[in-house]
Amino acid sequence: MQTKSFVRTFIIFFAVIVFANGISYADGAPPLTHKLTKISQSIMAPALRFKNMDDEIVDIKDLRGKVVIVNFWATWCPPCRREMGSLERLHQATKDKNIVILAVNIGEDVDTVFPFMGTVEPSPSFPVLFDTDAAAMKPWNVNGLPTTYFIKPDGTIAYRAVGGREFDHPDILQKTIALAQ
Amino acid sequence: MKGVILATAVSFYSLSCFAAAQQTFQVDSVTGAATWMTNQHGVNFSLTQILPQQAQAFYVNRGFTLKQIQSYATSCVFMTVLRNDNAPGTIHFVRKNWSVVIDGKSRRVLSTDHWLQQLKSNNIKKSALVAFRWAQFPSEQKYEPGGDWNQGMLTVGLAPGSVFDVIARWDIDGKPYTAKLQEVRCAN
Repeated sequence: MQTKSFVRTFIIFFAVIVFANGISYADGAPPLTHKLTKISQSIMAPALRFKNMDDEIVDIKDLRGKVVIVNFWATWCPPCRREMGSLERLHQATKDKNIVILAVNIGEDVDTVFPFMGTVEPSPSFPVLFDTDAAAMKPWNVNGLPTTYFIKPDGTIAYRAVGGREFDHPDILQKTIALAQ
Repeated sequence: MKGVILATAVSFYSLSCFAAAQQTFQVDSVTGAATWMTNQHGVNFSLTQILPQQAQAFYVNRGFTLKQIQSYATSCVFMTVLRNDNAPGTIHFVRKNWSVVIDGKSRRVLSTDHWLQQLKSNNIKKSALVAFRWAQFPSEQKYEPGGDWNQGMLTVGLAPGSVFDVIARWDIDGKPYTAKLQEVRCAN
């Protein structure tokens, strides 16, 4: 009887912990897809200038000439957590092809983000920037997390993805590499 | 221990299923939280109960005190998912146009601004407010077909255990569409 009670308590405790760390996605959340929305008009990417994990400023304007993937995310956002590993796999497949990934964290700090990165498989090696005030959300027209933009080497926006994606899918890999060629 | 792992795995698996029926209903065997889901006009819409202690745990982990988040956590919170699977175009919604119907009377879901106004006067840390703001389901959004979607929290503002219908509204190039979930229940 005591064992049963302990197991029940443990299960409830486990569920609350999972939920507290990021709203549990054992909730019928949709599977991640791989569709990117092509932006037909020529729209320049807005300014983006934040500190990285090493307290150094990273400015998107210094990356002109490269394909830049800008991913807005937070550790407590379930689809952001789900897609993070695939973003690293995309990074591994494209990092020597003039393609840069910037993961812009919204509202958190290094003490929160660094331990989280260790839980992602594979652990992200691309730069994480810190937008502590969520200042980039309005100019980048981000209404929900995650949102990801693919920027061409000339600084215009090529694709947008609202919601979680499977970034290492061959379709996304192909589209990303094509932007750099 | 094996039993715990098995129960958790079964729960995760059972809730990963995506039914094509008009409205489906599932209960998480671990938390007891219920999910109502529908797929209409190529758009998937679901609400999952968030138990008050779950909402409290989530926001305390983001920097709130229990007292600061108590009112929100007990205001009938749902995890909301809206996703454009294969609608005939870009869907656009404004959340204030969504309604809750209870006892034949229609009312709006509570807005994010409503909560931010209440919380701002409470000496809450800026980082906690940023997390709160962005953990809510978007107030307005556009989703392209093929899988654009968001997941976020929505408060109905009804008493625990209340049963209601909820109507989500969106448009495609100005043409209105709706999806309705019936007999949704606030968590106790």
